[in-house]
Amino acid sequence: MTSPNFPTPNAASEGRVPAPPFVRLPDPGSLFEGRRQRLETLAQTSGLAPYLHFVAGLAEAQRRIQDGLPEPKQPLPEALARAHEFGMPPLDRTRIEVDATLSETLTRLFDAALPLSKPTEAQAALERVRGMTAEVLAEIVRSVLADSIPADAIAEHAYVAAGLQVHFTRLVAKLEAEKLVRLGDSICPSCGGPPTSTLVVGWIGAEGARYCSCSLCSTLWNVVRVKCILCSSTKGIGYKEIEGGPGTVKAECCDNCRGYVKILYQHKDAALDPVADDIASLGLDLLLQKTEYRRGSFNPFLLRV
Amino acid sequence: MNMELSRRGFLKAAGVGVAGTTLGAFGFADLEAAQAAAIRPFKLTNTMETRNTCPYCSVACGIIMYSKGDLRKGEMAEIIHIEGDADHPTNRGTLCPKGAALKDFVKADTRLKYPMVRKPGSDRFERVSWDQALDRIARLMKDDRDANFIATNKAGVPVNRWTTVGFLAASATTNETAYLTYKVVRSTGIVAFDNQARV
Repeated sequence: MTSPNFPTPNAASEGRVPAPPFVRLPDPGSLFEGRRQRLETLAQTSGLAPYLHFVAGLAEAQRRIQDGLPEPKQPLPEALARAHEFGMPPLDRTRIEVDATLSETLTRLFDAALPLSKPTEAQAALERVRGMTAEVLAEIVRSVLADSIPADAIAEHAYVAAGLQVHFTRLVAKLEAEKLVRLGDSICPSCGGPPTSTLVVGWIGAEGARYCSCSLCSTLWNVVRVKCILCSSTKGIGYKEIEGGPGTVKAECCDNCRGYVKILYQHKDAALDPVADDIASLGLDLLLQKTEYRRGSFNPFLLRV
Repeated sequence: MNMELSRRGFLKAAGVGVAGTTLGAFGFADLEAAQAAAIRPFKLTNTMETRNTCPYCSVACGIIMYSKGDLRKGEMAEIIHIEGDADHPTNRGTLCPKGAALKDFVKADTRLKYPMVRKPGSDRFERVSWDQALDRIARLMKDDRDANFIATNKAGVPVNRWTTVGFLAASATTNETAYLTYKVVRSTGIVAFDNQARV
């Protein structure tokens, strides 16, 4: 009694639960809006409220400046094929040039950040990046892309990092997810960047799977749980949180490399954001400073913690 | 992360001190100090997440067991939650109703934790040592095998069957354990036998 309209089962997934997707590429439009909303929500109850409002303002700017921004130049097909052949990320961070689009992105972000309410130090740093020559700006761009931020110019680099997040998120949104391959646990398969934090997601088809969130391009890539993403050890992994906490934000601490990266249990609280909640859970980092573990993730808004 | 000072000496140009964190550099250093003061009375707690295999059936679903307390630091750990392992290719985080209730199985008052024997004619189980249990099992098996072993069938063909004893082994084992169990049990002639090696 099979009706002609009866759906044909997918032979590949018959009788088994499908594997979670390897990557999820970001949507540049909704990403920064979601982050802004989360930061504003967290600011309502956090002792870090003024800073969260400020970063929320930057996230708002990151979304708003995209309207009418020219499309970024994608890598050439030959470059993509070569990167794939040699197991390199398709976006080569060492070859990114400050072209007209990136320059426009940065200028727009600096302008959009100008009216934000902020301390004089933040305002002064913004004035300095606005006044920088193209040459100096290109040098800062290179430092940010090398994850090497000089200790005496963190604020300037953080503004530029915010602009680069917009640029790279728009670049990776156009990549073909199915062509991306695993390069290493802590290496973004799109841009080679380090993660900000990791998420245990509740997506349909990937419930309970863990994804790392790229600090530059916000690509999410799957890494198995109970494994240190910094040194790939599966032995001696512990999860530390502040006593009495809701159990949604923990630090995945590794006894092998003594590093930790925060893990956000998004399947328990769908509102968790890999950047916003990393910043808002600064208290956890401050408590961990007294232990033998060191922070192993990268977040331009939480450097040197 | 590389944290050298910039070659260009932004420090001198800006006329500010080395700022510490991003918060400090943006002028939120007082917030960070307040946060540090507020968090000081709090302590960290540790949860372990441990992979294991569901002990029930031979599908052998992966599970993650959550426990409070840090075994690595010599503390006692207590299981607080068990769920399906999303990374396990067999079950991808799913569990059947029995597997989903595993924590109650672990913590059950009636859980068997040591060998027990109910002697003939007795109405209760008594605790025995492992040595006693293994000696008794070996004795009874040997006696039964000596009495009932079938070396040849009616036609005189060697069959080496031992059909009066059955053997059920666990599912939560490795390939190697399953292989060895199979070899040991089969080499005694036991026919009624099941374990993970069948799957």
